[in-house]
This record gives sequence, structure tokens and C-alpha cells, in this order.
Amino acid sequence: MKSSRMLGLIMIAPAAIMILLFFLMPVVLTGVFSMTNMTTATGISGGAYQIAPHSLNDLKSTMPDIAEQMSQPRYTIDETGLKAVEGLGLDAGIATELRAKHMGEVFKTRREAERMIKGLDQGPSTTQVKQISEQFNRSVVNSRFSSRQELFTALDTLGFKLTDAQKDSIAEATYTGWNWTTENFSRIVSSPDMARVLFNTLLYVALVLVLFNTTYAMLLAIWTHYMPAAPATIFRSIWLLPRITPVVIYVLMWKWLAWDTGFISVLMGKFGYPPKNYLLDNAYNAWLFVILINGFIGASMGMLVFSSALKAIPKSQFFASEVDGASRWQQIRYIILPQMRWPILFVTCYQTLSLLASFNEILLSTRGGPGKATEVWSLAAYHTALNNYAGNLEYGLGAAMALVLVVIGIVLSLFYLRIFNYGTLVSRPLIED
Amino acid sequence: MRVLLDNFSKSFGTTKVIENMTLEVGHGEMLALLGPSGCGKSTTLFAICGIHRPTGGRILFGDRDVTDLPSQARNIGVVFQSYALYPHMTVAENIGFPLKVKGMPGEDIRKEVDRISGLVHIGNLLGRRPAELSGGQQQRVALARALVRKPDVLLLDEPLANLDAKLRLEMRSEIRRIQRETGITAILVTHDQVEAMSMCDRIAIMKEGEIVQIATPAEMYNDPRTAFVAGFLGNPPITFLRGVMANGAFAIPDSEIRVPLPVSIAASEGTKLMLGVRPEHFTPAGDIAVSGKVTFAETQGRENLYDVSLDGGPLLRSIQPVRHDVNIGDAVTWAIDSKGVLVFADDGRRL
Repeated sequence: MKSSRMLGLIMIAPAAIMILLFFLMPVVLTGVFSMTNMTTATGISGGAYQIAPHSLNDLKSTMPDIAEQMSQPRYTIDETGLKAVEGLGLDAGIATELRAKHMGEVFKTRREAERMIKGLDQGPSTTQVKQISEQFNRSVVNSRFSSRQELFTALDTLGFKLTDAQKDSIAEATYTGWNWTTENFSRIVSSPDMARVLFNTLLYVALVLVLFNTTYAMLLAIWTHYMPAAPATIFRSIWLLPRITPVVIYVLMWKWLAWDTGFISVLMGKFGYPPKNYLLDNAYNAWLFVILINGFIGASMGMLVFSSALKAIPKSQFFASEVDGASRWQQIRYIILPQMRWPILFVTCYQTLSLLASFNEILLSTRGGPGKATEVWSLAAYHTALNNYAGNLEYGLGAAMALVLVVIGIVLSLFYLRIFNYGTLVSRPLIED
Repeated sequence: MRVLLDNFSKSFGTTKVIENMTLEVGHGEMLALLGPSGCGKSTTLFAICGIHRPTGGRILFGDRDVTDLPSQARNIGVVFQSYALYPHMTVAENIGFPLKVKGMPGEDIRKEVDRISGLVHIGNLLGRRPAELSGGQQQRVALARALVRKPDVLLLDEPLANLDAKLRLEMRSEIRRIQRETGITAILVTHDQVEAMSMCDRIAIMKEGEIVQIATPAEMYNDPRTAFVAGFLGNPPITFLRGVMANGAFAIPDSEIRVPLPVSIAASEGTKLMLGVRPEHFTPAGDIAVSGKVTFAETQGRENLYDVSLDGGPLLRSIQPVRHDVNIGDAVTWAIDSKGVLVFADDGRRL
């Protein structure tokens, strides 16, 4: 009894490992990424502290004085500067005097520093003063520090006396790596662009699902059901072609049809219309093509499922309804459709989920265009995280979008499983242990 | 309503199933199409339904030619072997379906369904679905659905084949009662001679696409036209002895057995003959004694059935009131009732 249970676990182990590696891990990683602000700029490993112009800009709002000071160069009499002065080949006394009298002093402006140098006993000339002061110019702007401590030490040396809170904000503003944040989700919720993409997604899923994946698939199944066997098979095979053609070639054929030297342009040219790219000409056309391209692929699956469900209805029921006086339409309405409830539900569930996740056809045909007219959620996530024109890939935001999609998918699955009454579909195993 | 098949033919592709069959079923009559599998009886029924289109000849309901009418326009009721109930509808919806597709108002449908379900005794099941019914109840629902639109003809395709033995007995008389009460013309397709004999006014027995004989059950039993008919009817079945004509009697070569034949049977000396002896005509009470050994004995409660192997090898069957003095292996001398024997020519023709 125990050994058989062990055997079951052992046999399921490879599948369990695969699920962990290839399904659960990506989901977990997506979850982790979604809680960060990773982008191409931050990289995915740690970052450094750099007082870049944009970080000073950020600081201006909270501590305008310090930000202003940090943006200005400071003059610090330090060993490095003294060494440089010695290297200038001037009177050696100048360096010695500076080291003796002014070591460690900080001057907030060039003028203050030069006044001090002019006042030296050695009395350097005006040209020399400029040369010397230049050696002590210490600006933090654009300098890079690999840790917080280095950053603070440098600021300290330059004479910035900062509180801990101020240090924290400076560190935060100058950090070039990624941070933990929930900002991605608030951005998704509040952005009007995201609302538009969500609307597009709903429109896309609903139209393809209702028009093609269920209704048209059902029509195909019923047509072929009433056809003689040979033409029915040919007809079904034709509708399978979009599904079995490699998607790149399939979409390319649509593009040939639609672009400005393509079939439609040539045909319309005969009636005097100038050639144009019908696919991307305007948003309505783009939507029409997106729905046709996906619908033609999706119709075949419903057709197959519905056809086999139709075949499962005993022939005698068709005979019986005929002798009962039912016309063909009544036969469809009262005998076929009521018995198609489960297949329809199944196709609806399955296709909803696969439409939500699929964007390859749209990517290959319109790329979400024109503008962002046909950008759907999964494509937007792809564009955000993996491939966009601007080149700054927002991994964190993209992951958050993907996570939202996963959550929608899981919620829908649970909802559908409930409708399916999944518990009753899965019967207890016949072999008891 | 009278049903007439006039020179009806049906073939599927190059396979000819029925050729030039003519059959008339009288008004209010119940007729059985009886025959072994593949004899064309179901094909005939389906042609009357309109599910199959005839390849030749005409089909008439009364004086109306329905040959080219689709099923929907024929006003027939059919009970299929599998009942073909609609699983997603309740019993009431199933029965009311033929009226619903006709566009009858719901109130009238309900009344008709109540009336007909009372007739077939399923008034208490109207709210159930077919899956919640027993085989016999499904059978009654199918019957009610076939009858509800007051069809011209009721067609029954092996209606009892899927029932267990006890239910079969019950439904046999039920179907006959309902047919009598409604006075509907009915055609029953079956391969079971007991069903055909017990339920129908007349039997049309079919073989290889042809009707061999049409008669009432009693006529057919007592006066079969061929050995095939004699062999098909009767339970336990008839046994045949093979022999020749010798001095006005039937003789089995290499044996003592001689059965005098009526003078009406004109066959020349030495002609090969078949003698059909039904089990009830081979008992201790007959007039032509025959000896043999009991090779099989079976009790049926009220009667016993014996197989007796005669000296020359051929087999006779005997049915007698229960007795306990005969066992397998015993030598017996029982007698054939010469008035009950049926004489056939070698090709099966009755003489």
C-alpha cells in the first residue's frame, strides 16, 4: 500500500520538477520583478551612486539649498591638489605654504579660494592663482561612488554637513540600481494608456471569441455536419489551414494581401482608388484585419470540437426529430444546440485564456499600430519589458503587467472550472490502494 | 390508414437490398415485418418513415403518394430501437416535441401530453429526464411521443429489443393494447417470432429482401409456405428429417423410419424430401413409432424439452408435460403424429 503510493510520487516527480522549473519559477520571478523598478538603465544587478544632473533635479524639490550647493564646484585644499600644484613647476614655497597653513580648508566659491591664494606670502601672480585654484576644484557632479559610505565620505570632505535624513534622500536620488517598489501597480491602475490597452484587450478577446471561435466555428460544424462526407472533409481541411500554417508565413500572406502593392490595392486600383497599406491605413482597418487573422486561426479548433460533439449525438435523434416533423432549423435549435452546451463552454474558456495570452499574430501584423490602436495587454507587456523603440526596457513594469495577466487568467480559470463543475468531471480512481 | 408499398425497391450504391416489393397494410391493422438480420425489414421501415428514399416504386398512405415527401411531411410516428429520446428535455418536453415544432400553443400541447401520457401510464413521470427512467419507462415515453401527433401510421423498429425478458412480456401486451385503443395502423419490425406472433394481426416474413409469406400468425404457423418460414416460427423450433419418396411414404435411407404421406402430395418415386416435425408432434401419443436415444433434456417448468437422436443419426425434438422418468442417454420409442407433419421439397418449397 505504501509502496504503491511511493511509486506514484516517483512517477510524477519528473513532471512535478518540470512544472516547478518551467511554470512556477517564471511565475515567481515575474512576481519578484514586478515588485522592482528594474529597467535597462538600472540593470538587473546592483547599481552605484552617481550625482547626475537628473538626481540633483530630483533633490531640488526636497532640499533646494543643498542641491544648489552640490551642483556648484567647491575648492578643497587637499593632498591631491597640493601634489598637482607641485607638479606645475611653480615656486615650491607655494605648495609648502598651502600645506602648512590651509590644509583641509574648504571654499564654497572660486573667488573665495583665489582670494586666499592671492593672500599667500609667496604672492603668486594672477595667472598662477587661476592655475593653482584649478587644482583644488572638487565637483561632485557626475562622480560615481560604488557605495553609500564612499558617497557620504566624499560629501563630508567637501564640507557638506548633512543630517541622516538628508543623507538618505541623497542616496536614494543618486542610486543608479533598482529598488523594491509597488509603484508599477499604481502606475497600471492610474495610467490612461493602460486603460486603453485594457479596453483593446477586452474588445479583441470578445470579438474574436464571439464572432469566430464560437459562432462561426459552430456554423462550420453544422454546415459540414449536413454535407456529404467527402466535401465536408475537404471543407474542414481548408479551415484547418490557418491553424497548421506557420504563423509567420500565415501573417505574411495577410500582409501581401493588404499592403500597398498587394492584392487589395491592385484590385481597388482597377476602380481608380490609389494604392495604400490597407492593414495600417486606419484603426478600423487594423482592427478588422487583426480580428480576421486571429479568427480564421481560432475557428478551426471550435469547428473540430463542435463537429466531434455533433458526431456524438446518436443518429437516431436526428431521425426521430425528422419524423417528429422538425425542420432543419428546428433540429438545430432544439436538438443540436442544447446538447452543445459543454463544448461551447469548453471552447469559450479555452479560447478566452489563449486569446488573453497570445499576441504573436498582432505583433507580426500591425505591431499594435497604427499608433497604439491595436495594442493589447500581452503585446503591451512585451513592448514594455522586452522590445520597444525608445530602448529603455522597463522590466519591472512589464513583469507587473504580465502578473496582472496571470492573475486574470487564474481567476478566469477558477471561474470556468466552477461552471464546468470540475469536481464531478474528475471521478475517483478505479484502482484503490 | 392503409399503407401500400407498390413495387418498392431500395439499393445502397450497387447493393440491392429490396427489389420490387409489394406490401399492403390495411387500415387499423398491425403488421409485423419479421426476418433475420440483413433481410431488409429495417430498410423497408426507414423507407416508410422517409429517412431512406426508395430507388424505385411508390409508397402510398391511403391514396396519398408520399414517395417523394420528406419525413416531416408524412405524419408518422416512429419508435426507434434505442428510443431516441432527447436527453436534454424532460419527458413532457420529449412527448410534446412533435406538437411544438408544429407551432401548437403551449396550453394545447400540455393537454395533449397529459392525454397521451395517461394512455401509456406515465403521467407521474412528466418532469423527469430520460436518464432518470428505466428501460420500460423510456419505451413508454417513446411510444407516447410517436402517438401524440395522431399519426397516420405507427412504425416500431425492434421496440422491445433493449428490454429485459419480463418487461418485454409486459410491453408486448401494452403496445398491442395501445394500438387497439387508438385504432392506428402499425408496422412492427422484429427478428423475434414470438413478438411478431403475439402482437400482430398479420406477419410478413422476409428473407434476403423478399417477402416469403404474408399471413396471420396461426395460418403461418400451421401452413408455412417454405421450410424457412416453418423454421423461423415456433419455439422450440421445428426439426427437419431428410429422406426420399418411397411407395407413397417418406423414408429415411438406411433406416426403418417410414412416414405415410397424404395422397395429395404428388412426388415421384425417389424424390428427395424434407419432413418438418414440430416438437409437439413428436410425443408418446403419435401414430408412427420411432426409436432413438435422448441426447439432451431441458425442463421449462411446465414442460420438458428433449432432443432425440434417431438410429440413422437425424435429430427430432419433443416437448411434453413434465415427467421424471426420462434422462439423457435413455433409449425411448416415441411417435410422430402423421397429421402434424409438414412436407417440403428438397429446395424448401412446401408440398
